[in-house]
Amino acid sequence: MSARPPTLAEILLGFVQIGLSSVGGAASPLRYVMVVRRRWLSETDFSEIFGVAQALPGATGANVAAMVADRFGGLPATLVALAGFCLPSMFLAIGLLALATRLSASSSRFVAAETAVTSAVAGLFIGNGIRMALVLWKANTAEQRRWRAARVGIIALAIVLIAVFHMWIPAVVLILASASLVSEWQARKGERKQTA
Amino acid sequence: MTETLLTIALRFGVLSLFAIGGGVSILIPQLHEEVVRQYHWVDDRAFAELIAISQASPGPNFLLIPLIGWRVASWPGAFVGLVAFMSIPLVLSVTVGRILHDRENETIALLRRAFRPLTGGMWIASGIVVARTVDHAVADVVVTIIVAACAIFVEANPLWWCVGAGVLGALIG
Repeated sequence: MSARPPTLAEILLGFVQIGLSSVGGAASPLRYVMVVRRRWLSETDFSEIFGVAQALPGATGANVAAMVADRFGGLPATLVALAGFCLPSMFLAIGLLALATRLSASSSRFVAAETAVTSAVAGLFIGNGIRMALVLWKANTAEQRRWRAARVGIIALAIVLIAVFHMWIPAVVLILASASLVSEWQARKGERKQTA
Repeated sequence: MTETLLTIALRFGVLSLFAIGGGVSILIPQLHEEVVRQYHWVDDRAFAELIAISQASPGPNFLLIPLIGWRVASWPGAFVGLVAFMSIPLVLSVTVGRILHDRENETIALLRRAFRPLTGGMWIASGIVVARTVDHAVADVVVTIIVAACAIFVEANPLWWCVGAGVLGALIG
């Protein structure tokens, strides 16, 4: 961490910058602004905070903003950081939405473009998910390979329960997260036994 | 109006607890279920528009929540949605951040590991649900499949796939 904690104005500016440059995830602008440009955090501090933020519910970017700003200046800094992170891009997005709605009422070309973007977003989500699945499949230790059937089962169950049976997502999360916790815990216990 | 705002606050507040692994995108099937099928606030086309704008516009992806709020109940809806969705995670983050403060924590590591297969599956399910709302022609399905392949094999800013698809759609449509 830097010697002097940033002022409220610096926190606001930093998070406005992060919010407006977040396209397809806030991870890289968060790191760029807080570690590289403004040197608020060291690389290790950042990856630790980011990891915790990902394990908590909610948007990772907002969680990181809250945790970092709270360390620098308590509640006022936290509120300033979140306002800077969300509000400018929210006004921009709402402006674009109003424009898009007007254009799509008058132009069929625009409707076609918008549909194509949404089709692309669908592909993006599917691709992201498959990518995560592939990483889990290429497990590096023998113990992890033993448990990958459980992981694939959880991935498949999540898809079927949500996309086919329209199950209530909170229930899916509670059930599958518990199952996944048990299997990962067992896998880690096995790893420990082997290294011991 | 007040009733709608209360519904927004309650629904989005509850959902925020289940946005695990970092994003609102995995909640899209549930949002679709509630916003389109249960409350009839918007139709499939308007829902697809909200997703397109929330992804293509700069800013964090969870802006989809205030965008839905704005569509349903104008500016009060946007702010109520945003605050409702952020409050619980904010309190949790600050509390956990203070407790952990610079300490390596095994529980957190285990939790992250356990969420990975679940979020992976939920991403794919979200993609399928979004595809079902917009992919009515063969060309749409082809776009979805091509972008999925690109996302798996090519390392690039995802915005480019959206821009490319939009331009292509405008040219063909």
